[in-house]
Amino acid sequence: MSPAAAKETARPAVPAPAAAPELGVLTRSVRELRALGDERHLSLSEAEWAAVQARFKTLKREPTLAEIETIAQTWSEHCKHKTFTSPIRLSEGRRTRTIKNLFQETIAAATAAAKKPWCLSVFEDNAGVVAFGRKWALAFKAETHNHPSALEPYGGAETGVGGVIRDVLGCGLGAKPVLNTDVFCFARPDYRGPLPEGALHPSRTMRGVVAGVRDYGNRMGIPTAGGGIWFDDDYRLNPLVFCGTVGLLPAKAVKKEVKPGDLIVVAGGRTGRDGLHGATFSSAVLGDDAPGSAVQIGHAIAEKRVLDALLRARDRSLYRSVTDCGAGGLSSAVGELGADCGARVRLEDVPLKAADLESWEIWLSESQERMVLAVPPKDLKALQAVFAAEGCETAAIGEFTRDGRLRVVHHDEGVVDLDMKFLHKGLPREVRRAEWTPPPPQKASGGAAKRLGEILREAIADANVCSREWVIRQYDHEVQAGTVIKPLQGVRHDGPGDACVIWPHAATGDLEDRAGFSVAHGLNPEYGRLDPYWMAMACVDEALRNLTCVGADPSRAALLDNFCWPSPDDPKQLGALVRAAEGCRDAAKGFRAPFISGKDSLYNESKDEKGRPLPIPGTLLISALAPVPDVRRAVTMDFKGPGNALYLLGRTNDELGGSLCHRLLGRTGGEVPKASPAVTLEGLRSLHAAITKSLVLSAHDLSEGGLAVAAAEMGFSGEFGAVIDLDEIPRDPRIYSNETLLFSESAGRILVEVAPENESAFLRHFGKGAKAAPVRRVGQTTANPILKIVGLDGSTVMEEPLRELKEAWQRTLPAMLA
Amino acid sequence: MSAVRVQPVSTHLIEIRLRPEFADAEGAEALARLRAEGLSALKDVRVSRLYEIKGAITATQVQQAARELLCDAVTQESRVVNPGTPPLNGMNFWRVEVWPKPTVADPPGETVRDAIAEMGLPRPDSVRCALVYRLLGRSSRAVIEKAVEKALANPLIHRFVVSEAHP
Repeated sequence: MSPAAAKETARPAVPAPAAAPELGVLTRSVRELRALGDERHLSLSEAEWAAVQARFKTLKREPTLAEIETIAQTWSEHCKHKTFTSPIRLSEGRRTRTIKNLFQETIAAATAAAKKPWCLSVFEDNAGVVAFGRKWALAFKAETHNHPSALEPYGGAETGVGGVIRDVLGCGLGAKPVLNTDVFCFARPDYRGPLPEGALHPSRTMRGVVAGVRDYGNRMGIPTAGGGIWFDDDYRLNPLVFCGTVGLLPAKAVKKEVKPGDLIVVAGGRTGRDGLHGATFSSAVLGDDAPGSAVQIGHAIAEKRVLDALLRARDRSLYRSVTDCGAGGLSSAVGELGADCGARVRLEDVPLKAADLESWEIWLSESQERMVLAVPPKDLKALQAVFAAEGCETAAIGEFTRDGRLRVVHHDEGVVDLDMKFLHKGLPREVRRAEWTPPPPQKASGGAAKRLGEILREAIADANVCSREWVIRQYDHEVQAGTVIKPLQGVRHDGPGDACVIWPHAATGDLEDRAGFSVAHGLNPEYGRLDPYWMAMACVDEALRNLTCVGADPSRAALLDNFCWPSPDDPKQLGALVRAAEGCRDAAKGFRAPFISGKDSLYNESKDEKGRPLPIPGTLLISALAPVPDVRRAVTMDFKGPGNALYLLGRTNDELGGSLCHRLLGRTGGEVPKASPAVTLEGLRSLHAAITKSLVLSAHDLSEGGLAVAAAEMGFSGEFGAVIDLDEIPRDPRIYSNETLLFSESAGRILVEVAPENESAFLRHFGKGAKAAPVRRVGQTTANPILKIVGLDGSTVMEEPLRELKEAWQRTLPAMLA
Repeated sequence: MSAVRVQPVSTHLIEIRLRPEFADAEGAEALARLRAEGLSALKDVRVSRLYEIKGAITATQVQQAARELLCDAVTQESRVVNPGTPPLNGMNFWRVEVWPKPTVADPPGETVRDAIAEMGLPRPDSVRCALVYRLLGRSSRAVIEKAVEKALANPLIHRFVVSEAHP
């Protein structure tokens, strides 16, 4: 008999769990069960109820409430990503094909194809991990916290940040968070339209979310930088809150392993009634019956204590594995850690906030700031001492076994006795239907013509372009003292940066190591309205360009995907989702950038004031992380002086579909920007080589508003003007319009400032062939802060004072919030 | 019979407010938001914090905690609030208390509870922390309740009490 087995027999045998008579799973029909389950916010479908029923019929007993809740949590969309892993029948026009597993065939396939040896852990752990130098690794994770933030913006955003920090903390043997990065999608805060009863006004949502992100990040001493905001009124009932964290861990702490006999130790906050049903709740369409218990308030100071204690224990190798207590609470944390061996838990040993909690409540509670560790029995004392020194509670609540079962008892009463295999592999796969109709090619039409200068003024003051200073200034982006390139740049520290560059010397303790990293995002739901495939391409393209602009290495970029979609039960929405996922796959293959982690949030749909469904536009956030080989070579986006050459990298096409310019003119149709990854990647690599040789003074990517907006931003941030000759732009020869050249949002373009003496050295980095990325001198910077554009016919078509543009750019957000 | 006198469990309410001579930024923000929700006659809002301390702790000990822990003696003052109807002046003053619901976690309250114990005082059973808004301006209870619900409190996690109050 093995020692572990001997120990098992020493304890009293686990009694069979007592049934929950009120459910009657064995006797009721599947439909009745579903209705009953929906009342309890279980979100199990009829087929899933049937599987549960069949399972317990073979066991010849009624399931307990805790068992049903455990199954519902484990099988929820939130935990198992059912849509992304179920078979899908996709009809495209007349063709129909079957996708066996969307995730495996798109995102994971692209990563496998990239074969990057520096990807240390992908899609397995709580976060993706890439190598960072020889000794270190970076863990990166971004996820959403949309539903809670819609109900209680401050608490929802706070716990979103807290959750993703714990993800990184529970990645490998624990990573030290070195950067928070947050992206939001809101309705405009000055929204004046009607809202249904009980819905929070977008302005309140925005203030609350920003305050929550600010307070949690600032209190934990983690810099918050490099985020973004997108405004669209279709987000008014379902705001999107993406929280991301980068953590640094020693390369040798990436692998973790649970051994049977290890103790299950819960560390951090106490367990209370808060946050019940978070995972199942987030897998349902929002209605007015949302449970108040799903919303929580974060406790940043408690999490900071857990963080400090955990990292100290990690460095002393006091535990073998760790994970965070997120959605599903102990049930999913213990279930995950013990998935390959088995676990036995005694609920009476869990430290509680209130004494009157029922067994299933303790087991499922999503109380924040808790971590679960696998601790060898000999290290328990030392571990508890480390945590106690931080004023942080720990309790051994059971042990990992080798019998492949999940067993939970409460005061010698059986609560859960489930087979790990059934729990993790027993989920029935339903075939889903999806539809995709390619949009017919549409010529741009409608709208009124405007003067070019007028379009630029409106574009620069647009909600999706304007200054985010009001938000950024609330965040502490300087703490840990490694923010080399800050979110606001330029001579007055108020220009819009492409990405931030972090030099994590405070975490590595090595001042000689000048390597840093950069994080950037790409998001544009406007393109997705026309074609989600090209939206995905454009998002990857934009994220990589942003990284390259600040000096990060585009050939070492790792990606995260975050899909936020309306209900996938609608075949059209699911078709669009498939299309976006395929865009991700092709972009990742084309740019040779692997996905390392990701998340999806579906059912972002609510009933509006008249009871009609209001879905969000299908939204994809691509977050990219890449190392900056030497932070001293990092580049900002502001013009550095007069008389410098301006080069435009990338080709301009007539791609105004979904563009800001079209929206301002009230025009519809047109071509959505189509990225060409191979050519762009070559251009980005060349530009990166030039940046590492210090041949580039500033670089800025062209996104919303195209060349005109990018040039204006670079100009007013550096307080120098520019003259740009549109005839010099590398372009589709069929373009005859100045407006198209100025405002087209073609992908893959970057405006670069180069000192005259370095021009030939700069150009030597770029290839010459027909397939090489085009780069051409399009103008120069001037001392007078005026943006002057020379049109195709050689006449001056625009002359705008940059100071006025900047004022308009800065005025918008405060005015919307006033 | 035990000779040890057991301190009975009691509830104390302590309010910490900014001294009137200091500008109240939180109050100004609340004023702007309440005005935007239709309370245009509002003239001023002052914000203070209210701590409900429950446990085997005496009034003197609570006052010590209020003075030494909860209150910044330069800018703030503390006072004991007596439960029950406050004296009315019949006109322009309103008091809004926003409490976290009992099921909702209260991190400031938890921190205060631990900190009181660290001062060497008896550890309270629970501490809850509320925000108090003192409103100056003519209005009616119904109108204030509606505005508070939209601007200051989220009914999902907060309960609030609006009362006519002495300034």
